[in-house]
Amino acid sequence: MLQSKNSMNFTANTQMKTSPFFERTSKLNTSQEWKRWGGYLSATKYDLNHDNEYFAIRTKAGLLDISPLYKYRIAGKDSSLFLNRLVTRDIKICKIGQVMYSTWCDENGKVIDDGTIQRLGENDFRLTSAEPNLSWLELNSYGMDVNIYDESNKIAALALQGPKSRDIINSISSKSINSLKFFEIMNTKLNDINVSISRTGYTGDLGYEIWIKPDDSIKVWDMLIKFGKNYGITPVGLNALDISRIEASLILLDVDYISSRTALIEDRKSSPFELGLGWTVKLNDESFVGSEALRLEKKNPSEWRFVGIEILWDNLEKLFKNVGLPPDLPYGAWRDSVPLYYRKNQVGYASSGCWSPILKKYIALAHVNSKYAGLDTVLDFEIKVEHFRHLTPAKIVKTPFYNPNRKMSCPK
Amino acid sequence: MSKIDKYDVIIIGGGHNGLTAAAYLSKAGKKVLVLERRHVLGGAAVTEEVFPGFKFSVCSYVVSLLKANVIRELMLPRFGLEILPLESTFTPLDNDYLFRTSDYDQTYKEIYRHSQKDAENYMRFGPLMGQVGMAVRPILETIAPNAIRPSFKDLMSLKSLFNHVKGLNNETFEYLCKLMTMSSADFLDEWFEFEPLKSTMAASGIIGTFMGPRSPGSAYVMLHHYMGDIDGSFRAWGFQRGGTGELSMTIARSAMHFGTKILTEAAVNKVIVKNGSAIGVALENGDEYKSDIVISGLDPKLTFLKMLDESDLPEDFVNDIKKFRIRGSSGKVNLALDGLPNFTSLPGNGPHLRGAISISPSYDHLEKAYDDAKYGNFSKEPYMDIILPSVIDPEMAPPGKHVMSCFVQYAPYNINGGWDDTKREAFGDAVVNTLARFAPNIKDLILHRQVLTPMDLEKTFGLTEGNIFHGELTLQQLFSFRPAVKWADYTTPIKNYFQCGSGTHPGGGVTGSPGEMAAKKILKIW
Amino acid sequence: MVNKKYDYIVIGGGLNSLIAAALLAKKKKSVMLFESNDSLGGMASTSEFSPGFRCNLVYDYIKWLDERVLKELNIQKDDIELIINDIYRVSLDLDGNHIFFHRNNKKTIESISKISKSDADKWNDFTLFISKISSFLKPLYKITPPNIQKMGLRDAISMKNLLNPILSHGTRGIADILRTLPMMMPELLDEWFESKLLRGTLAASGIHHLNQGPYSAATVLNFLHHNIYSGLNILDAKFIRGGTNSLSSVFSKKAKDYGVIIKNNSEVIKINCNNGNCDGVTLADGQIFFSKNIISGLDQENTCIKLLGNENLYPNVRTQLNNIKYRGSTARLHFALKSLPKIKGINDDQMQTVFSISPSINYLEKAYDEVKYGNFSSSPYIEFCISSIIDPSLAKDNNHVLSASIQYIPYALKNNKWSDKLKNDIINNVTSILDKYITNFSDDIIDSSISTPYDFESTLNNTEGSFNHGEMTLDQFLFMRPTISSSQYRTHIKNLFICSPSTHPGGGLHGANAINMINEITK
Repeated sequence: MLQSKNSMNFTANTQMKTSPFFERTSKLNTSQEWKRWGGYLSATKYDLNHDNEYFAIRTKAGLLDISPLYKYRIAGKDSSLFLNRLVTRDIKICKIGQVMYSTWCDENGKVIDDGTIQRLGENDFRLTSAEPNLSWLELNSYGMDVNIYDESNKIAALALQGPKSRDIINSISSKSINSLKFFEIMNTKLNDINVSISRTGYTGDLGYEIWIKPDDSIKVWDMLIKFGKNYGITPVGLNALDISRIEASLILLDVDYISSRTALIEDRKSSPFELGLGWTVKLNDESFVGSEALRLEKKNPSEWRFVGIEILWDNLEKLFKNVGLPPDLPYGAWRDSVPLYYRKNQVGYASSGCWSPILKKYIALAHVNSKYAGLDTVLDFEIKVEHFRHLTPAKIVKTPFYNPNRKMSCPK
Repeated sequence: MSKIDKYDVIIIGGGHNGLTAAAYLSKAGKKVLVLERRHVLGGAAVTEEVFPGFKFSVCSYVVSLLKANVIRELMLPRFGLEILPLESTFTPLDNDYLFRTSDYDQTYKEIYRHSQKDAENYMRFGPLMGQVGMAVRPILETIAPNAIRPSFKDLMSLKSLFNHVKGLNNETFEYLCKLMTMSSADFLDEWFEFEPLKSTMAASGIIGTFMGPRSPGSAYVMLHHYMGDIDGSFRAWGFQRGGTGELSMTIARSAMHFGTKILTEAAVNKVIVKNGSAIGVALENGDEYKSDIVISGLDPKLTFLKMLDESDLPEDFVNDIKKFRIRGSSGKVNLALDGLPNFTSLPGNGPHLRGAISISPSYDHLEKAYDDAKYGNFSKEPYMDIILPSVIDPEMAPPGKHVMSCFVQYAPYNINGGWDDTKREAFGDAVVNTLARFAPNIKDLILHRQVLTPMDLEKTFGLTEGNIFHGELTLQQLFSFRPAVKWADYTTPIKNYFQCGSGTHPGGGVTGSPGEMAAKKILKIW
Repeated sequence: MVNKKYDYIVIGGGLNSLIAAALLAKKKKSVMLFESNDSLGGMASTSEFSPGFRCNLVYDYIKWLDERVLKELNIQKDDIELIINDIYRVSLDLDGNHIFFHRNNKKTIESISKISKSDADKWNDFTLFISKISSFLKPLYKITPPNIQKMGLRDAISMKNLLNPILSHGTRGIADILRTLPMMMPELLDEWFESKLLRGTLAASGIHHLNQGPYSAATVLNFLHHNIYSGLNILDAKFIRGGTNSLSSVFSKKAKDYGVIIKNNSEVIKINCNNGNCDGVTLADGQIFFSKNIISGLDQENTCIKLLGNENLYPNVRTQLNNIKYRGSTARLHFALKSLPKIKGINDDQMQTVFSISPSINYLEKAYDEVKYGNFSSSPYIEFCISSIIDPSLAKDNNHVLSASIQYIPYALKNNKWSDKLKNDIINNVTSILDKYITNFSDDIIDSSISTPYDFESTLNNTEGSFNHGEMTLDQFLFMRPTISSSQYRTHIKNLFICSPSTHPGGGLHGANAINMINEITK
């Protein structure tokens, strides 16, 4: 929404962007806690604590306003050529109606951002990202027949995540979404309103993202709430999302890594390999931005690895027991940098972590020097117990921490 | 009758740099006397009640570059330093406006309204300029080495600077080189497309300098202004409560706390030189003061050509000082207002009146203003940097009334036919008319108007040609060349005579830096 | 059939390309050179602008030739004969009080003294001062600019050697240089001269082929660039017997003698790359040629952006290349004349020289002001000569050709597109200005022709019609020319090199770019 030119008074609305759902979310947000996301005010949590919202995602269905995502529409004759050169994955194999997750890098193979690419037509794509990328996209499109259009304000989006999400949508969709596979997108009508639904999300659970014209946004919100009621639909805020995404081991820009465009110093930049996203790097004959550097890096393993760690419970409990307390667990997800040691030498740091309410485990995502990053390696995790620093063992484990079957399966 | 009084140090001029040097030297245990020609302290950084009830920071009007270590070391907060943030820049346009604040998201949203790409690039630009600023900082904080015959120490400091430059990452080094050589317009064109954004940013590249935004070298001046260092964040500008003069007073109080003696209405006529060495000063009223060391806080022309006889100085040096470019390019218009201006594009009172207001709608606006000055006229539609101090600090004006400070460029010192009262008023009218283009109610609000031409700045503040920087910030007048080669380390060809004004490295602005570095240099060799 | 793989393919048949090709062939390399036009020489070539009349496309005269090129290629005095006139330049005055620049400085001083006694007194010192400063630049013009960030101790020491010549001028030398380079012309001239005409004429050299006015900082750099080998003859201009075109014939003959295969009418449309290396070129007719290395005599825009193509460009390299400022500023105007023009106060035997219409600094600056706002200058700086005196083949019988460089004529106009009407306006405008200086000029004109920077872009393939392949400004000088990461005659493609004027030390018919590059890539 643009600031009106002759506004007499400055209000919250003139200073921050507000999502098309703001009218609803602002009334539901009983905690009145907001976070900034891409210049928007986004609910941190709707209730006074986020527990109910988290469990809605894992057991029922959580409804999240994801309109602040940056969305770019890429069309034109060379659009697949362009995207193929831009991102690390092979876009040519992306079918119409398919969605791909990918990173994109600078020429030194350092990650700029990550996001999804929806193939809406032969020469029609939508790219979503956490940060604005328009100038980078345009810089890479010189001499190509592509049309890049920032539709961030033109598309509202909701994420409906959780085991009941499919049932809720089926109850109002003109077409069944039963056959919609993981990372696919389709057009349908929700009670006569045209929307696109992609089976994607940031929770590691069964879930969908619904792409809506802003004018229809409130109608879709109301409809979902109304028909979802019996399934336990719950508006969720960013706190619940943050726990889910750590359980699913999904990285977050500016928390788990810094874009190489804004890193300022070399040491802050990461390659896809260093972020555990080596699988998105397709090194075939065709070159993309950064492919040469990545080809070299693949030959000589990267210095850093991105891993999941589990802070071992017994030792943790003992540390607290020693001072006469039960373990003091983080409430919600944290985003600090916590040092990791191997025999007194720091070999890495955890960048985000949480107590997983469903796994009953203390888990974290961490950058670890690749020498010490093997599965089951036990590192020392720094923790404060009653104001004093201690080290407690943490084991490198397989990620994602939580990976239910329903995430990718389809009903028979 | 002549007074005989002996001091360790006499400082000519009670400007903020002179006072800073005095404070440092007193703090080190020296007996210091500061002699100020006027009845107020602060030099160009003064507050005066020009009209009853209306206080103005008559000349310097913002605090941007005052060094944090000077604030700490001279304990300025204890003596009244209170800098209120000026956190936004408002550029009125004919049918629209550009309003940038210190908030990331708000500014992103505002620029996005004009250009999507610019919004994105702006967010990268700030941190990068910060990096470049950091890269320049050690250069500014190095006592400029003698480029002709470097001493061992000079070589070592050159070497460490060279290593510093080599240690920069490619991007920072590239932008550093570009900023040192390009025009601000060209530099900004590489980043942005929305012209009012570019021209407002470029405008800081012409402040105090006799060039247009398309003239190479202006990018450096822009960087110079980018290095505002309040609270450690780059380009955070501020306003001293009570006006800029209050800032000078805090330094003066600090100096007096350490034992400096300050005399006002004590105009120095000459530095007394005996056998090639300064031994004291003679006042215009005939008084003489003796000291081991004399420091001048005046600009290079006054420091050498007025305070000394040319015959005392080497001929080369006199030539260099004569060639030193010090062309005044700016004027100041101070307005006492009956209320707040109402901008057509963004009416009413709002946060946009709390920050800087920049009249810089396009490059062409700035260039045309410059063209007028190039050929010897004041700008018919000048560039202006405006603040409303009374909005931030109500004590500056009577209740309900306001003061407005307009820094105006260009007004050449050497105007065709010379400045006179008619031209001064015509200049004032040009300023008000330009302002009225964007805020039509301004004409009805004006209660009093003070117009300062470069000629007035020279007469009142002793700024040669009215140049606010004691010499233009062009490449050939920086670092080892400021004010003259071989004598850029605060020493002069006269033994025991030193300089500490803005005409020395690292240059103008309310920084305290030349004063501090000169004092530290003197203490080192004493 | 697979074509032979050459050691080097050279793209473009301009002076630097020809020299580079000849030097490589002399080192027993197999070299193939492609030129898209039917004649060689690029900016040193001639063309017919009107039936029976030919003109020098860009340059009527040269300022200097790199003596290393002449030596390496064993070029004798007879091959390239320089015409050394006594009067090498005349600065015209409406009232006939012209300033004559003589090779004998005493005569120049005499000429200046008719206008200003004080200026005449200072002329000698000024020429000494300028030649002192340029003697520092000379060795700089012979090296590959350092990569400052990767510079080691050894480089630093070799750089120190460069300082020696200037240190020999006393300790102030280095200070003078550092102080003078970033200056604007009026600032330098304020320190010396008072006469408007003299100041204007000298300032004109500071803006020559530049899209900046004399009041722009670092125009002194451009002034020094044009006068680096002028010695005491500031504003020197040397004609070549037979015209500047004979330069290209001499060098192309040398190249052929050493075995370079030269193909005219062969436009390269693509540099073929594979994994960060180039391996050959594709021509417009579809032919493909292979080579181990490629040298381009084109500017960065043409070489790296158009010929390499997007797929072989990194985005950040691309950003740097995009940021190069070309900004052609000069149009060439050619008049076919019935007879030798007559100028008040100039004898017929003094016509073999360069004339400058640059009455004052403000005149030039005002010409620039118009460009600043997107128009062309209505009272432009004009430099002209009667090229048919030097090269009689340009015109038949007693006819003559007057070629003028007009500044400022920008590449693009703000609210207008280039059209024949606008071009005619310029011709009429220049004609009326010349009419004031040349007796019965307009009656004498048989035909005329103009090339704006916009036209040059299509005929000479130089981006934005820039003769220097990128402006000679402080931010595009030495280790920042053409960009800070490619100032060593190299590109981001390992075996693709550039020897065009876009590289250090910039434009002009001197060949220094080529020999510097050869020294760099064969070391």
